[in-house]
Amino acid sequence: MKEFEYLKPDSIKETISILSQFGEKAQIFNGGTDLIVEMRDKIIQPEYLVDIKAIPQLNRITYNKQDGLNIGATATLNEISNSKVVQTHYPILVKACKTVGSYQVRNRATLVGNICNASPAADTAPPLLVLEVKVNIIGPTGEKIVPINQFFTGVKKNILKKGEIVTSITIPPIKDKWTGVYLKQGRKKEVDLATVGVAVVCIRDEVRIALGAVAPVPVRAFKTEELLKGKTMDESLLEKAGKSTLTEVSPISDVRSSQEYREEIIKVLVRRAILQAKGGHIL
Amino acid sequence: MKHKIRFTINGEVKEIEVEPNKTLLKMLREDLDLIGAKEGCGTGECGACTVLVDNEPVNSCLMLAVEADGKEILTIEGLSDGINLDSIQESFLKHNAIQCGYCTPGMVMSAKALLSRNPRPTEEDVKEALAGNLCRCTGYQRIINAVLDVAKKGGKK
Repeated sequence: MKEFEYLKPDSIKETISILSQFGEKAQIFNGGTDLIVEMRDKIIQPEYLVDIKAIPQLNRITYNKQDGLNIGATATLNEISNSKVVQTHYPILVKACKTVGSYQVRNRATLVGNICNASPAADTAPPLLVLEVKVNIIGPTGEKIVPINQFFTGVKKNILKKGEIVTSITIPPIKDKWTGVYLKQGRKKEVDLATVGVAVVCIRDEVRIALGAVAPVPVRAFKTEELLKGKTMDESLLEKAGKSTLTEVSPISDVRSSQEYREEIIKVLVRRAILQAKGGHIL
Repeated sequence: MKHKIRFTINGEVKEIEVEPNKTLLKMLREDLDLIGAKEGCGTGECGACTVLVDNEPVNSCLMLAVEADGKEILTIEGLSDGINLDSIQESFLKHNAIQCGYCTPGMVMSAKALLSRNPRPTEEDVKEALAGNLCRCTGYQRIINAVLDVAKKGGKK
């Protein structure tokens, strides 16, 4: 690992000023489970490492009926999946957090880090997409809120500009009764990246679908959702849903899977996730 | 620039100066001569470097030494009192849950953390807790049995 200066600001204001001052030379350091590997492999060589874990207000997980759930940037995946409010109101998120890495990794890795890292295979991204999460960002010019589906801009790229940091994400409250499912296909059950990840949320006659590891960024399948809206789910519609989803993604062949296998799995998982979310059986 | 850090290691308070680009694992092995934690993959997949930080298991290869400032760290060396082994270590011996031994310190530390947060784990709980610890001699069943046995006896030998 190349040498760098380690900085540990205790306020957001100080963090922004450091990031603005050093620009490309500075790197935010959160859970570090991706970053330290990339620094070790010399893919990223920051001159200033800015540890944000000493900023108290970034570690909060709060919930209320009006505003929904707010998860701070430094809340770890284990803190989130052990949180009673998350378990009660967003079991889909507990499931997604638990599929990331190992227990040891989840003690360090954060949900906000998972999305900022912007891997196409990020396990928490599909559930956050179907929950229509807002990303809360602060930078030198003030605060802004970006819908999660505009946050990812490419493989390992996000919308953040120089000096900006994500302080938290907010899951807006869902007024109606809803169900959500996240299904992940990997080469093995534990400690693997997703070959394909599919999240589905059903709210009344609406079906929301999002996928990971099938395109340069995690994606919502809006056209397929439109196709399903208001319709009674039957065998032929489930088949159409799978086929339609395929037209909205661009899977590739890589070390984890061939493109052809991904295409098959997408159809299987979309169908299975919709069925599970609707309370049906796995056919 | 070196940073002065102060932390508790296996019950003893230490103050040392470390380079920021040194991982916790390197500091343990090279500066403190605690060579129980091993480097397997160096990328957080094998768990051979597992140690407890404030009672929680982490991959010490994915944590910087400077981050240990103010923390309480427990390594495999801190489990036994020098004469008597920890009940988990005893159980690993009893169940022959060791072949080459490279993964063992990490396995034991993950098991230690599991049993302190959940004293009566199911076999599924044990598998989930140890999923981040690879054993290339594939002695998993004996390891799982060893951990379940400690739980059954309520931590007693």
